[in-house]
Amino acid sequence: MKRQLYFVYIIIFILLFCLPYQGLAEKITGTVTVKGLRSPANILVYLTNTPSISLDVTRANFVMDQKNLTFLPHILPIPVGATVQFPNNDKVDHNVFSMSRTKKFNLGSYKPGEIKTILFDKPGIVELRCDVHAEMSAYILVMKNPYWAITDAHGKFEIPDIAYLKEQGVSGVENLPAGEYFIKTWHEKLKTQKSSVVVPNNGDVSVEFDLTRGTPSVLYK
Amino acid sequence: MDYCGIEGSNVSAMGLRKPSKDKRMYRKKTILLLSLSILAIFFSLFYFEKRILAQTSQRKILGAVIQGRVLSPYGPVENARVRVVGEEKYTLTDRQGRYVLQTQHPPVLKLRVTAGKEGWFNNAQITSNSSQDTDIFMYPIYLNDQPDYSFISPVTCAGCHIKLSRYWDQSKMAHTTSNPKVLDMYNGTDALRREGVGPGYRLDNPNSNGNCAECHAPSAVASGRWSQDLNAVLQSSRAEWDGISCDFCHKIRKVTQNKDKPSGVSAVLERQSSSSGPSILVFGPYDDVVVSPMAASYNQVYEQGQYCSVCHSHFKKLDGGKTWSYNKVYSTSEWKGFGLENNTVVPVQTTYQEWKMWQDQLSFDDPNKGKKCQDCHMSWRKEMLPYDNYVVDKGARHMWGTHRSPKNIHPHHFDGGTQTQLKTALAMELEGETSGNRLTVNVYITNTNGGHWVPTGETMRSVMLLLQARDASGKPLKMIKGSRLPEWTGVGKAGAGNYAGLPGAVFARVLGDDQGNLHVPFWRATHIAVDNRIRPKGTVTLQFQFALENPEDEPSAEAKIIYRPVIRPLAEQKRWLVEDILITSSVW
Repeated sequence: MKRQLYFVYIIIFILLFCLPYQGLAEKITGTVTVKGLRSPANILVYLTNTPSISLDVTRANFVMDQKNLTFLPHILPIPVGATVQFPNNDKVDHNVFSMSRTKKFNLGSYKPGEIKTILFDKPGIVELRCDVHAEMSAYILVMKNPYWAITDAHGKFEIPDIAYLKEQGVSGVENLPAGEYFIKTWHEKLKTQKSSVVVPNNGDVSVEFDLTRGTPSVLYK
Repeated sequence: MDYCGIEGSNVSAMGLRKPSKDKRMYRKKTILLLSLSILAIFFSLFYFEKRILAQTSQRKILGAVIQGRVLSPYGPVENARVRVVGEEKYTLTDRQGRYVLQTQHPPVLKLRVTAGKEGWFNNAQITSNSSQDTDIFMYPIYLNDQPDYSFISPVTCAGCHIKLSRYWDQSKMAHTTSNPKVLDMYNGTDALRREGVGPGYRLDNPNSNGNCAECHAPSAVASGRWSQDLNAVLQSSRAEWDGISCDFCHKIRKVTQNKDKPSGVSAVLERQSSSSGPSILVFGPYDDVVVSPMAASYNQVYEQGQYCSVCHSHFKKLDGGKTWSYNKVYSTSEWKGFGLENNTVVPVQTTYQEWKMWQDQLSFDDPNKGKKCQDCHMSWRKEMLPYDNYVVDKGARHMWGTHRSPKNIHPHHFDGGTQTQLKTALAMELEGETSGNRLTVNVYITNTNGGHWVPTGETMRSVMLLLQARDASGKPLKMIKGSRLPEWTGVGKAGAGNYAGLPGAVFARVLGDDQGNLHVPFWRATHIAVDNRIRPKGTVTLQFQFALENPEDEPSAEAKIIYRPVIRPLAEQKRWLVEDILITSSVW
């Protein structure tokens, strides 16, 4: 009997430990479907307005790789203030640069095996180019807040994606407080959609997007 | 095995007899000795392994030092480039022709060391096992250009350089004579081959062959007294005369100023038939190609933008010493950048000068300093992957191939006004702001990847900006301030590519004549009316304003940047099927 009580205490303790997180915040989940693209993957879904949050990006380790004349990943969202590494894992020299007004930089030509880094200190879209390989282009999306997610192969997303952010060295992200938010999409080849979403006091909320081909809008107006 | 069954010892609990005291001592001593021996062996091994490792790593860092001299029938050769074949690192010889080459190879390996210098045939020598010097003998190229030389067909080159030839054959460079648009402009015909459809050089100049062949059929021009009529070139049996062929390009010894040429520059050829054997004299960027089918000679001009200036610039001297007011279109520095001193010349095409002007004004520590035509127009493409380490294929690879880094291989695709190349040539950003009943949209267009002005080359090319603003319901907003696209972007339905009157702008170099006609062909041009093309790494900012019916509305704006290879009126007149290329688009 005593032993059984002991287990009950443990379970109660675990529940009490977890409850504050559940009470503080909720998630926005959903699915994106697309017309005109082979896959609903790699679409950015993000919130434009969120309460201010104290993020620690000092240990962020975002990477924009270069291999086989391709930037990997093609779209890399990062929180503002984060640093991105640009390793050259190709067999030829590359010259990464951006002339976007969000962040202008030019890393110059560098050899396979070398790594260069850049700090992104202003939110917005940064179009990456390679000066000698016309086919190479990618986007670094510098986000105002950490409330974004990239869709998986089935178009599913979950905001915030705390596990992914932790993996990237970003800490201090919590689930969303209840309230009304604006949620938008961004993909290089898809028309941006925007809608409002109300996060309740308890439980998650689901949002569906049905996107069509077109030109995406700026991240923040 | 009686070590545990020695006579006279006690019987243990397991039924074994205990060894005697002496025997135990003996066993202990044996074990101790054995242990010491094992330890000694272990330490010896550790010590020697460390030494071996140290030696290996030292060798890895230092490797074999190859030294010797580069000599010739005229004595030592100074400033020859010496390297282990295929490797990136090279050294230069001193005044005594001496070189010291530090390698990473073990000294026991026999290495092929090559030497190359402009004006000399490349040559090679194998290192010996002994400490003897590796001397390399070079022979000069005697200037003996033979105007009656018959250029070798690209088919011959393709025998070994299969991939390079294929890339070249798929490029415009291979078909500059048989290009239908070139022939239509030359003959005054249209796409249906109907005659008398202008503009046409021969329609205006029936008694002149013109100088088109200088760049559109340079092998024919260089081949003695052959007619420079493009039609005659095509009708000749010399198929290799169509296009800028391999053998023509690789016979260029240097590039010099020549005011008599349309580009103001001429290619100095060195055409030599082999006196013995099958060797073909070829110039190129490699100083380590020493193979029997070719008598190769390193030439630095192949690594310079100047090489392309032979054709990628075109100036027209005005008749009768006429002049025109260039300062209405260009700044003094731009005019000087074209290499022009007086206003009796119309710069028709200035791609090379545009690049040079950009490079000249860059500081030495600028990351773009030193970028040249070959870097972008002869770089690897995804469709060519996986990377190759050779410039020859199949059997030739095994017999004569040199393994080299892909970064030192320049695939000959010569991409220019193609979708691939244009997609990243320009970038655009939009910025909007509403104030009362007004929406202001700023458009920023940047020439990100073009090392020259965009568009460049042929003046029939243009780049258009199309801008459309809408209210929240999708209704188009009326523009109250900003530029509109001119008539020559096409009158008619926008869906059919006619954009005249729509909010936007067009970027082009527009040639004019004395009668006030615009978009005239170069041979009729007397001046440049407009040249608002986008400079390398330059940003053009355009502002547009639209009327908002409801100040509380949430309007949006969408812009597209489109490349048009041939302006609409000319394309319609010539019945050419030309496709616009969408460079980029943006939404605010």
